Amino acid sequence: MNLTVNGKPASIAADDAISVSNLLETLQVAQREYVTVELNGDILDRDGFDAATVRDGDTVEFLYFMGGGSL
Amino acid sequence: MGETATGMRFDTKLIHGGTAPGPYGATKTPIIQSSAFAYDTAEELEDLFKGRAIGQVYTRIGNPTLEALEKRLAAVEDGIAAIVTASGMAAITTAVMAIVRSGDEILSSASLFGGTYSLFRDTLANYGITTRFVDPTDLDALAAAVNDATRLIFVETIGNPKMDVPDIAAFAAIAQKSGVPLMVDATVSTPYLARVKELGADIVVHSTSKFINGTANSIGGAIIDSGSFDWNSAKFPHFEPFYRKYRNFAFTARTRKLIHKDFGACAAPLNAFLVGEGLETLALRMERHCANALKLAGFLAAHEKVAWVNYPGLPDSPFFEVANRQFQGRFGGVLTLGLADKPSAFRLINGLKLAKNLANIGDTKTLVIHPASTICADYSLEVKALMGVSEELVRVSVGIEDARDIVADFARALDNL
Repeated sequence: MNLTVNGKPASIAADDAISVSNLLETLQVAQREYVTVELNGDILDRDGFDAATVRDGDTVEFLYFMGGGSL
Repeated sequence: MGETATGMRFDTKLIHGGTAPGPYGATKTPIIQSSAFAYDTAEELEDLFKGRAIGQVYTRIGNPTLEALEKRLAAVEDGIAAIVTASGMAAITTAVMAIVRSGDEILSSASLFGGTYSLFRDTLANYGITTRFVDPTDLDALAAAVNDATRLIFVETIGNPKMDVPDIAAFAAIAQKSGVPLMVDATVSTPYLARVKELGADIVVHSTSKFINGTANSIGGAIIDSGSFDWNSAKFPHFEPFYRKYRNFAFTARTRKLIHKDFGACAAPLNAFLVGEGLETLALRMERHCANALKLAGFLAAHEKVAWVNYPGLPDSPFFEVANRQFQGRFGGVLTLGLADKPSAFRLINGLKLAKNLANIGDTKTLVIHPASTICADYSLEVKALMGVSEELVRVSVGIEDARDIVADFARALDNL
């Protein structure tokens, strides 16, 4: 399925749905204990990564607070 | 916090907690003495600044050597994240300014390190932040002093130099009931005596220059976020965007992205490396500091020329019971003693051969100072009394030399008074 991840197109080897936890694993997202996940513009609760589902066409942002810049 | 910390006992965590393998199989995180970090493309740097990617940008904001120490300190204190700073005062200033705004009030223990007292009473007052000081042993007065403007409760685990030991869990209960965070300066107790998160500290601050570094070779500080405070509160509207995005990391995110970045009190990579070296031996050194302090306190308490000794490990100390419970039978490496008067205190200091007369604590070496004429000299008699500083008082940071040599040094100097 095709997603937009951090503003870029990404193709994921999954049928039509994947949990956010699985997506973090599949994409080998760095420092998962700190990452904030925004799905289609909504910030997800950290303890809801297993339950939240990403579907074909969704937009996902992985955000960190450790770097520079503003909020 | 590194996954490797899970399940380790404290002494093991000091060595392995939060660590990651270094390049080339190095067992030490290298000192990355670089101001800034280069990327191949403009897009990569844009992603970093947007928070879409993780990496280093500029050492004031972050650096691999600093990050390595931050992860280790977070692991040791069971926190969710840590920020290391240029000094202990930088840690306190940064952490406090991340929470309070003009018009807000801090409720603080009156028994404070002189630098913190000056920050709260004088410097922050100039920015519209009022601090109310209360006797940390009077919990009713503390609870009664909370008002609508209170945004932070601040306390030291062992008052320096007053050597009083507040009941941290009782402070935490009052903070929780009041809906404000509890910030605890655990410099004197160190993580070895107590992980103050377990006692209810929401934010822990350290001067790592002291016992954590341990050999007095670098100045540093640390802020550790317990992740326990609920920042989704009407009292803290300035945390709203950070809570919305980063949830229980809201404090660390706001501190890092605004206050720490803007005030710029960052640690130096070399200093962070040296603090990390000290951290590995903290337990061994603290065991000896505590044992030596107890021996010296016992000797001094029995000496005819010593008017009084203030050490929470002495059974007749009013703080013995709470310290014994809170610190599980260990009482730290700092004590104070009183002589007849100021000239006697000066003669004692001048007569010591082993102990160094200087303004510091937590070195391997035994250190002494006369606080009333030095670190607390700027304060009125009234304020000195509040801080427990009198003219006849000498503060001792007991080192890890052979206790017999420390006692002999004091015995000789006292005999010659």
